[in-house]
Amino acid sequence: MSILQEIKNAVRSRSIHVAYVDVGSCNGCDIEVLACLAPRYDIEQYGIYVHNNPREADVLLVIGSVTPQWVDKLRDIWEKIPEPKAAVAIGNCPISGCVYARRGTLTTPPVENYIPIAAQVPGCPPRPTEILSAILSVAPLIYKDYEEKHR
Amino acid sequence: MRSIVYYLREFFRPEWVRKFFFAKTAPLVAPSYFKDYPSLTGKECTQCLTCMMICPAPGAIAVLHKKGGWEPEIYPGHCIRCGLCVEACPEGVLSSGRILDVTSRDRTAFSSWYRLQVDDTLCMRCGNCCVSCPVNREVDPQLAGTGTSASDEVIMRIEGGRVTILHEEKCTGCKTCENNCPNRAIRVARMVEGIQGEEEAEA
Ligand code: SF4
Ligand code: SF4
Ligand code: SF4
Ligand code: SF4
Repeated sequence: MSILQEIKNAVRSRSIHVAYVDVGSCNGCDIEVLACLAPRYDIEQYGIYVHNNPREADVLLVIGSVTPQWVDKLRDIWEKIPEPKAAVAIGNCPISGCVYARRGTLTTPPVENYIPIAAQVPGCPPRPTEILSAILSVAPLIYKDYEEKHR
Repeated sequence: MRSIVYYLREFFRPEWVRKFFFAKTAPLVAPSYFKDYPSLTGKECTQCLTCMMICPAPGAIAVLHKKGGWEPEIYPGHCIRCGLCVEACPEGVLSSGRILDVTSRDRTAFSSWYRLQVDDTLCMRCGNCCVSCPVNREVDPQLAGTGTSASDEVIMRIEGGRVTILHEEKCTGCKTCENNCPNRAIRVARMVEGIQGEEEAEA
């Protein structure tokens, strides 16, 4: 393994940039994502930074059960994220539609139909610790030796 | 010159550098009282389906027949961890956090019944509901055709040209009447009430 790759691995393990997007949920999961930033959970001490700019992001947190207006915009956001990238579904909504998965609601879950999802964090809402550990465990799978794997 | 040395020494304090590069606290873990996905206590399930009926999330719980008998299965990704199934199960099959401790301490429980409602503006007095109801059929085997009945013990019958509900409390919630009504005039609703400190609550 090249030294450059080693350096990249080391830097990437301490520098995970996150953007989140709510494509139609009750906002409960957004609040739990924000709670990760609070001193109690302090997401930045693990080297995870929330920027909310897809051009800077490594990980996209997708929240919500996808309303029709979001379908094309979600794909746009996903395409703007530079490689290597991963999307994590936060909460029940992007997995199953949660309580919105009923007849007559204007949602089109699951989010997997629109962008590839690397990990799912079920819960309504998930605990901030669950979100944190999901990001921490998915990041090495995606970013470690990325250039070696994709030559 | 000396100030620069002091400055650098201050800047590269090992403790500070360590804190900068490594996480200060291990990730928090969920506390023991966290109301997580319901888990099985090992008690026997009677397949009463109370848990499925009270669950507010679509597709979150199903009572399945497994090798050892009936067993509720919770689906993460659907379940919202509300804990209602844990509270509602009369057999204590499910457990989550300290819900069971609290319900037994406060002697709380759910009681439920079925409410029948006929919309007279939609109903055309066909009597399908009264005839199709399996409870009616058992009480009065003669009940047929127009839905009139000589028995006062039936759940409902056509009386004076309209559906009269006599014994709502006998309804089992099967919704056969609802399915057989051509006009969606009859509605069966399950009513749930939280009760505390009554005899039933000890179950
Ligand atoms: S905890 Fe709530 S949502 Fe989950 S299965 Fe039980 S009743 Fe349904
Ligand atoms: S788990 Fe409890 S409430 Fe559900 S079917 Fe079994 S006995 Fe009934
Ligand atoms: S729900 Fe079933 S038991 Fe109740 S009235 Fe209708 S048919 Fe009869
Ligand atoms: S089946 Fe429907 S329309 Fe017919 S008598 Fe019953 S409620 Fe009325």
